[in-house]
Amino acid sequence: MTTDTLRTLLTVLVFPGGLFAMALGLALKGVERRAIARLQRRVGPPLIQPFYDLIKLMRKRTLIPDTANAFVFLAVPVAGLASMAVAASMIPIPGFYEPSTGLGNLIVLFYLISIPAVSLMLAGSASGSPYGAIGFSREMAIVLAYEGPILLSLVAVALHAGAVTGQPILLSLTEIVRYQQEHGAFLFDPWMWPALLTYLCFIPANLGIAPFDIPEAESEVLEGPLVEYSGPPLGLMKLMSVTKSVVVLGLGIALFFPNGPAGLAGLFIFLAKCLVLVLAVSVLKAAVGRMRIDQAVLFYLKWPELLGFAGLALVIARF
Amino acid sequence: MDFFSKAARKSPWLYRINAGSCNGCDVELATTACIPRYDVERLGCQYCGSPKHADIVLITGPLTARVKDKVLRVYNEIPDPKVTVAVGICPISGGVFRESYAIEGPIDRYLPVDVNVPGCPPRPQAIIEGIAKAIEIWAKRA
Ligand code: SF4
Repeated sequence: MTTDTLRTLLTVLVFPGGLFAMALGLALKGVERRAIARLQRRVGPPLIQPFYDLIKLMRKRTLIPDTANAFVFLAVPVAGLASMAVAASMIPIPGFYEPSTGLGNLIVLFYLISIPAVSLMLAGSASGSPYGAIGFSREMAIVLAYEGPILLSLVAVALHAGAVTGQPILLSLTEIVRYQQEHGAFLFDPWMWPALLTYLCFIPANLGIAPFDIPEAESEVLEGPLVEYSGPPLGLMKLMSVTKSVVVLGLGIALFFPNGPAGLAGLFIFLAKCLVLVLAVSVLKAAVGRMRIDQAVLFYLKWPELLGFAGLALVIARF
Repeated sequence: MDFFSKAARKSPWLYRINAGSCNGCDVELATTACIPRYDVERLGCQYCGSPKHADIVLITGPLTARVKDKVLRVYNEIPDPKVTVAVGICPISGGVFRESYAIEGPIDRYLPVDVNVPGCPPRPQAIIEGIAKAIEIWAKRA
């Protein structure tokens, strides 16, 4: 019992949640910044720039505005980061790591993934700044818009995996991964493509990547919810968002293309897939400008939502 | 230099304050950062939108009477440690606006200026050199 608890704690705090996910997230962020710089024909920052930034932020003074609710203001980054550490420990690394069932299933993961957005909203409203409030309302609007499609996509995968394994619905990520490793990835199954596309549409909005980086637009609302943060809390917020990118990319890999060799090679294949996704995201970020919030919300309510329903209908019609 | 200041040296975030500048210097600043040719991100710099995220503050303009209180307020919102760079001749002496009734400057009457980058407006290379000097000072303070 105690060794089990200890092992779970280790998975949450060190590998693959906690330290590992944070380090991976920071490294991917460095790759992204470098890739964007290269696309714009700049030299760009060193690859470990996000680590420098984090260490520096830990050294700066923390200012709490008079108008802020100090407790919420300081508690929110910690809560967001903790939720992401737990979520990262629930992402299987195919062939290398399987999350224990005690940690929870797809439903828990879905809720955990929305916690950073809630943290940002709370941060914005607790900071007492008008820019924070604008960021809060934008974040809320965009969350409401993309939450539907992502849910439809997850349900489509779970229903499909359930149908092929003879259960009503399969909510365990480990088993979804195992099925795909034995019978081929969902990526190569045309029936699953609408669900896959929905998931791909969800990634930029959730990670705050152009054209959907509206809540944290630094040139319009001065980074919105983060405007009043400084020093260590700001560092934790940044850490939360990079860990979130690992969780979201890792979940996508587990849901649609988890195939890879067993053992350490599996870990490297996983890292390579993350890298490919991050490079794709950087191209998107460098190529497009920012949408207005109403355009983004309409876009999400129209296309990904439609795709999500199509994916779900296909899965249901097939069995 | 300990571990912290070594890392901090690689990560100076920039913030711009316009203290009543004619915008010439601001255009030069935008050029320094934005066009690929004079990329300051390679030094680890990053423009930030909020004064609370900043390490190095770049002030342009002669500090007009109207804007003085606001500039001082924003300046105080930048958390310590910080380094101040005055860009252009305006913050140093008032430049072309010297002895005008509307000017409260020179800026070092009110703020501790660490680096002056003279010029009207300074060349991008000069601004980058100023930022590089500011990074040296910032590494000692962080
Ligand atoms: S130094 Fe020259 S260019 Fe710069 S703000 Fe003053 S007048 Fe304008």
